[in-house]
Amino acid sequence: MNFSLTDEQRMLVESAERYGRDKYTFEERRHIGSNPEGFSRQHWNQFAEMGWLALAIPESCGGLGGTATDIAMLMEPLGSALIIEPVVDTAILAASLIGASPDPAQREQWLGRIATGELIVALAHQEQASRNEYDFQVRTSATRTADGWSLSGQKHRVFHGAAASVLLVSAHLEGTADLGLFIVDSHSAGLSSEHYELIDGSRGADIRLNGVQVPATALLMNGGLTEQALEQALDQAILAGCSAAIGSMEAVMAMTADYLKTRVQYGKPLAQFQALQHRMAEMFVETDQSRAILHSALAAVESTDAGGRQAAISAAKYQISKAAYFVASQGIQLHGGIGTTEEYAVGHHYKMAVMFDQRFGDASFHLDRSSLGIDQLDQPLKGALYA
Amino acid sequence: MELYMTAEDEAFRDEVRAFLRENLNEDVIRRSNTGMHPPNEDDRRWWNRMLAEKGWAASHWPAEYGGTGWSHVQHHIFELECRLAGAPELRWQGLRLIGPVLYTFGSEAQKSRYLPPILKGEEMWAQGFSEPGAGSDLASLKTSAVIDGDDYIINGQKLWTTEGQYCEQGFFLVRTENSDRPQKGISMIIIDMKSPGVTVRQIPMINGEGSTCEVFLDNVRVPRENLIGEPGSAWVYAKFLLSNERTSSADIHKARADLERIRNIAAHELKDGKPLLGDAGFRRKLAALRIEVDALEWSVLRVMHEAPSRHPISACASVLKIRGSSLQQKLTELMVEALGQRSLRVYRRDEAYAQPDGNPLWPAYTPGVTADLMYLRSCTIYGGAMEVQKNIIAKLAFGF
Ligand SMILES: Cc1cc2nc3c(=O)[nH]c(=O)nc-3n(C[C@H](O)[C@H](O)[C@H](O)COP(=O)(O)OP(=O)(O)OC[C@H]3O[C@@H](n4cnc5c(N)ncnc54)[C@H](O)[C@@H]3O)c2cc1C
Repeated sequence: MNFSLTDEQRMLVESAERYGRDKYTFEERRHIGSNPEGFSRQHWNQFAEMGWLALAIPESCGGLGGTATDIAMLMEPLGSALIIEPVVDTAILAASLIGASPDPAQREQWLGRIATGELIVALAHQEQASRNEYDFQVRTSATRTADGWSLSGQKHRVFHGAAASVLLVSAHLEGTADLGLFIVDSHSAGLSSEHYELIDGSRGADIRLNGVQVPATALLMNGGLTEQALEQALDQAILAGCSAAIGSMEAVMAMTADYLKTRVQYGKPLAQFQALQHRMAEMFVETDQSRAILHSALAAVESTDAGGRQAAISAAKYQISKAAYFVASQGIQLHGGIGTTEEYAVGHHYKMAVMFDQRFGDASFHLDRSSLGIDQLDQPLKGALYA
Repeated sequence: MELYMTAEDEAFRDEVRAFLRENLNEDVIRRSNTGMHPPNEDDRRWWNRMLAEKGWAASHWPAEYGGTGWSHVQHHIFELECRLAGAPELRWQGLRLIGPVLYTFGSEAQKSRYLPPILKGEEMWAQGFSEPGAGSDLASLKTSAVIDGDDYIINGQKLWTTEGQYCEQGFFLVRTENSDRPQKGISMIIIDMKSPGVTVRQIPMINGEGSTCEVFLDNVRVPRENLIGEPGSAWVYAKFLLSNERTSSADIHKARADLERIRNIAAHELKDGKPLLGDAGFRRKLAALRIEVDALEWSVLRVMHEAPSRHPISACASVLKIRGSSLQQKLTELMVEALGQRSLRVYRRDEAYAQPDGNPLWPAYTPGVTADLMYLRSCTIYGGAMEVQKNIIAKLAFGF
C-alpha cells in the first residue's frame, strides 16, 4: 500500500489549490452566485483549459482517463473553494453515463465536447415522487416515431438545469418495462423549463417534455444497462462530492482556527479557551475519519463485487454527510455572530454541507444502503483492505 | 404537587382558541408559518394592536400597566395556542425586555411616555448591547456617553441589533464612566432611532435577509432624562432583564409547532412510494425529538413556577437555553431531512409569502423551511452563546 501522491497527482492538487486561492476567491464566488445562470462560463472555460473537465473521460474519447482517486484529488481543493460550477454533474456524472453507452460514436461525439468545456450536460431524471437520484421509478415516456422517439413527461429538480445545453433524460420505453436514457438538446421544440435558485447559488430547473422529437441515436442505452449505469455514475459522483466536502471541512477548520487566534474576548484570544480547543479537536477527528472512509471507498471502487462497492460508497457518504454538517455548524458556532452573515464564507460551507447531504441520497438513505452489507461482514470487500 | 391543568385552565384555553380562530386570517397565518426572518412587519404590528385591544398584548406586565394577571400556566397556554394557530410573533424587545425594566426602574415620565406605545405596538424597540469588540464579553463595550449640559453625547458602534431597521426606539448600553470594574461604568439609555447621528445598516445574514443591523452612533445628542435608573447601574438592569425572560429562551412553543410541521411534511413526502412518516427510521428520529420537547416543556413549567430544587434556578434557566436552542436546530434539521431535496430551493420573501399556486412539485409546506434552518444557526449564539451558558452552569451548579 502506498498513500503518497504521484508527481502528476501532486501537480493536479497544487494547480487546483492555486486556482482556488488566486482566481476563485470567496468574493468571486459570491459574485458568481448572483449571476442568473448560477455559474461562470469564464471559469468553466478555464477549468477545461486546466484539463479538469477531461479528467474522468477515457483517453479514447479525448479525455485524460483519470482514476476515481485522481478525481478525488482534484475535487478536494475545488470543495475548499466552494465552486458552484457543475464539475460533478457534468464532467463526472453525465460523462460517466455517456461513457456507459454501448455506441462508440455517441461516446466520442459527446464526451469530447464535455472535455473541451463546450457542453454543460445535466441529468434530468428525478420526478415528482422521487426522493433522490437513486429512485428509478420514472413516469416520463418515450414513444417510437418513424425515425426516432417522442418524449413526454415532467422532470423535477434538474440540478444545473438553467446552465445545461444538453440533458440526459430518463424515460420508459413504450410497451416495455425498459428504462432508456436519452440525450436531448435543451432547446428542443416541446421542451420548456422553469428555473429557480438553490442554496449554493446554482440554478435548478423543472422541465416539461411535451412530445419532444429526438432521433433514434439519442437513445444512449436501455434495458438493465440504464439502471446499472445510473447507479455507477451516481456512485462516482458521490465519491467526487465526498472529496469536495472534505475540502470544505478543511477550509472551515483553517478559517475557524485563524479566527480563534485573533478574536479576543475576556482579555484573551478565544483560542485559549479549552472548550473551544476541544471543539476544534472534535472537528479534526470528524474530518480525519472522513478522509479515512473516503480512502476505504476509493479502495473498493474498482471492485467487481457490486454489493460491496455500494456498501463502501454509502458508508463514505453517510460518514461524510454527518461530518460535513457537524464541522460547518461548529465552524459557524465558534465564529459567533460573524459566522451567521452572508458576507462570511463559513455559512456558505454550511449550505454546501446541506446540499451535499441531500444530493445523491441523504445520510439516512445511505445508512440503509450500507446496511445491506451487514449480511456479508464475514466476506471482506474485494479490492478493499482485507481482500 | 399538583401536576395537572385545572378546569379553569381548560376553559381559558378554549377562550384563547376561539379568539384566535375569529381574528387570524389565512394570509397572516401563512406568512407567520413560513419561517422567514425577520417576520412580516405589518402583520406583527397589526397583531400587537389586536391583542392590545383585547388586553392581551403585554400579558406578563402588572395589571396597572396593562397586564392580565394570568397564572404561569395560562401564559404558557396562551403562547402555545398563539404559536400553533399561526399568530404573528410579537417583537419581544419592547414587550418582554425593556417594558419590565421601565416599569421597575424607570422614571414616571419614562413610564408614561414609553409604556403605552409598546403595549399598542406603535413603537418598536431595538436592543443595542453587542459591539464589534464586545460579544460574549459584553462588559468590554466601548460606546461612550459624555455629559454636555442637559444631554449626553453618544459615540460608538453597535452590532447585531436585531431588526434595527424597523425600530423607532432603542435601549442601549453605554459607558458613562471608566471604572476599575468594567461592569460598573455602564449605563442604559433610551435613544430615539431617528436622532441625527444614528445610522442603521442592515447586515445580510445566511438566511438571505437583513435580520440584524449595525448601528453607528456619531455624536448623537440624547437628553439626560433618557438614562434609565441610576448611572453606572445598567449591569443590574441587564441581569434583571435577562432573568425576567429566562423561560422564553427555550422557545418551547415553536418547538411544539415544529413537531407538528415535521409530521405534516413527512405525511406528504414519499419514500419508495409511501409516506415518509411510516418509515421506521424516520419515526424513531421524530419520536426522539418529541421526547426532548416534552422534557423541555416540563422544565419550562418548573422554572416558571420556581419549583423547589437543590440547584440554583439560574443554572436551570441556562438548561432551558442550552437544550432549547439545540433542540430548535435539531427540529429544523429533521424538517429539512423530511422535505428532502425540495429544501434546496431558495425562496425570496415575496415568493414565500405568495398564495400557493397548487404546483404539486413544490407543495405549500416547502417555502421557508430552509430559511429557518439557516437563521437558527444563530440561536446557539444570540442571547448568551451555548458555550457561555455552559460556563454559567459549571459555575452556578458546581462552583467551578
Ligand atoms: C441573529 C442574531 C441576533 C442578535 N441580536 C442582538 C440584539 O438584538 N442586540 C444585541 O445587543 N446583540 C444581539 N446579538 C449579538 C449576540 O448577543 C452575540 O452574537 C453574542 O453575544 C456572541 O458574541 P459574538 O458574536 O461577538 O461572539 P464571540 O463572543 O466572539 O464568541 C465566539 C465563540 O466563542 C465562544 N466563547 C466566547 N467566550 C467564551 C468563553 N469564555 N468560553 C468558551 N467559549 C467562549 C462563544 O460561545 C462563541 O462560540 C445577536 C446575534 C445574532 C447572531
